[in-house]
Amino acid sequence: MEYIKPGKIIELFEEKFDGSVINSKIEIKTAGLKKNSYNVIWLQINPEDLKNIVKFLCSITPFPHFAMISGNDIGENIELIYHFSIYYGERFKETSISLVMHLSKKNLKILTITDLIPGAQTAEREIKEMFGVIVEGLPDLANIFLPKDFPKGVYPLRKDEKGAAKMVNKEEEVKKVE
Amino acid sequence: MNKESYSIPIGPVHPSLKEPMTFNFEIYGERIEKVNLAPGDNHRGIEFMGRQRNPIQIIYLAERICGICSASHPFAFCRAVENAAGIEVPERAQYIRVIIAELERIHSHILWAGVAAHELGFDSVLYLSWRAREKVLDLLEDLTGNRINYGIFMIGGVRRDISEEQIPRIRETLEYYKDIYGKIEDIFLNDPTIALRTKNVGVLTKEDALRLCAVGPTTRASGINKDIRQDQPYSAYADLEVKAITPDVLTGEVNGDVYDRIIVRLLELVQSIQIIEQCLDNMPSGEIVVEKKLVKLLNQLKKAKGEGIGRHEAPRGEVIHYVKLNESELPEVWKARAPTYNNLMTWVPMLIGQQIADIPIVIASIDPCIACMDRVTILNKANGQKDTLTKKDLHELSVQKTRRIAP
Amino acid sequence: MKLNKYFERSLWVFHLNTGSCNGCDIEIVAGLTPRYDLERFGIKLVGSPKHADVLLVTGPVTSKMLDRVKRVYEQTPDPKAVIVVGACGTSGGVFYNSYNISGSVDKVIPVDVYVPGCPPRPEAIINGVLQAWIKLEKLRESMKVARVK
Repeated sequence: MEYIKPGKIIELFEEKFDGSVINSKIEIKTAGLKKNSYNVIWLQINPEDLKNIVKFLCSITPFPHFAMISGNDIGENIELIYHFSIYYGERFKETSISLVMHLSKKNLKILTITDLIPGAQTAEREIKEMFGVIVEGLPDLANIFLPKDFPKGVYPLRKDEKGAAKMVNKEEEVKKVE
Repeated sequence: MNKESYSIPIGPVHPSLKEPMTFNFEIYGERIEKVNLAPGDNHRGIEFMGRQRNPIQIIYLAERICGICSASHPFAFCRAVENAAGIEVPERAQYIRVIIAELERIHSHILWAGVAAHELGFDSVLYLSWRAREKVLDLLEDLTGNRINYGIFMIGGVRRDISEEQIPRIRETLEYYKDIYGKIEDIFLNDPTIALRTKNVGVLTKEDALRLCAVGPTTRASGINKDIRQDQPYSAYADLEVKAITPDVLTGEVNGDVYDRIIVRLLELVQSIQIIEQCLDNMPSGEIVVEKKLVKLLNQLKKAKGEGIGRHEAPRGEVIHYVKLNESELPEVWKARAPTYNNLMTWVPMLIGQQIADIPIVIASIDPCIACMDRVTILNKANGQKDTLTKKDLHELSVQKTRRIAP
Repeated sequence: MKLNKYFERSLWVFHLNTGSCNGCDIEIVAGLTPRYDLERFGIKLVGSPKHADVLLVTGPVTSKMLDRVKRVYEQTPDPKAVIVVGACGTSGGVFYNSYNISGSVDKVIPVDVYVPGCPPRPEAIINGVLQAWIKLEKLRESMKVARVK
């Protein structure tokens, strides 16, 4: 597989998905005494195009490494970040690619990518439980982290009224002496 | 489902993982036909707790995600915060971090070797290898003050320096491991019984490993050249020539079985010793932490805005943390991912077609810290009768198989 | 031969992890292996609570484990002792304010011996087992006296 420079990767994405790439930046990180560097790419994209973009990523490099999905509750939207890395196997060539997406809370739906990358199953089940995101195309399996009898409609990592703040057991807290 | 096939749930107590497991096997005779995984018994909501704490408090929480990887998680977390806040770590601290991380790898791989031997029925090897492990724990205690949960990582550096008097002690420990390495290698790679129990058992093909995004020794044993220390070097690894170890270095072929995973871990033991020696030879002098006063550091982090990823190659594979700081005392997002999270799914292709007696060693082979199965229930679908197999019974089955096939 | 008046018989221990980080668990195993060698006294880990004299519990109790802790406790035959190893089993430790944690072990089952530390050293765990041992022998003694009467 041919190595494509990070700037060129972003250009390729912008070319292929016109208007879908909202924001992009490249970070160059250095380490050690010799100050060698590697690249980190951040791309903000349209959630509808996620599947096509991952498909395109798979065509750049046959097996992109899928690391995790991190999520954040930002008021009206849920922010999801899919962390990938490509070009592993050579020193300083590995490039991290993070796909940032904003999903409206009124329409929390996203297409599964498990048919392209089966390793993403655990992570997709996790965002389903923790943020209540409906992952379309993912078989409806049992809870992966939360207990079976966990109340329905509570998504622990949400920061709004659907969060788990009310479930916290505060008995351990030490009361401040006046 | 065939009439004669029955299902075995295993679990739920499975210590050491962030998520201990319940397994559900469908068995036909002795052969495993289907595997279902249901983790979550150990779910403590660490990311949720992290929201109510400031970054320095989170270091100690991150340390306690796993007691065996207690240098890996803080390492990745500190890197993520440093990337987000734009803090440069002094060179000497980078070298000390790598030394601690590699000492942890030595302790973790020897621990794993003992557990693997135990699962096969070689308890004397378990005791001897754990005895050998005490030496590196002594050294870690000398360097950090603790045998486990070292508490040496700090945002922007480390908390303790390595003094001149400690360097000969590190070298002496490394010499000890060089001496006994021959013995360990001889036991695991030349013993005919271990070879019979591990060769062509729990095979993970290269394609499966790539598709399931496996990490660490599990993926390298399947012949994939993937190691963050090599691909995206950080800290002092950027100055050292670290190469990902695949089993063909030793045997010239890649099978992706349990035996190959043993080879990879043993060779990594030697690699870790070399890395520490190189670090000691090239260690620069200077500061060990950017900001000594914690209040000042917290104030600096309070003003920071940005997001960062921290990755580290833990003994079990890639640890990745993501942190977002948003000009407040508490970080906006903290997401941590342990290596077993990715390796979880690799159990399915590994276990299908294997025998019940191979379950312990195959599960232990990806090193989910300690493969401890609490209880196994065999439910016979034909008559609904329930038999319970304890961990001991399962272990007994495994030992019996070793005796049966031993030459 | 009796070593002392408490050394009547050796203890069998069942180790129960209720959500611990594994730091205590490996220290328990380290306590059994040659450096510290609890096994020379005949103390060993068993695979079922039904065979055990002592429950060694580590970690804060997660909601999924809550019921199982109670069940394991009920399955252990009397007289029994419960030892909690580590700070998080004793008080919750670093794990507080979570939606999925019920708190320390002593809120769920009665505890006899606490071994503090994060994680405690193997020597401390051995001392904890010794304390439980003394307690158990006293318990047995009093049961014997009651039977004679």
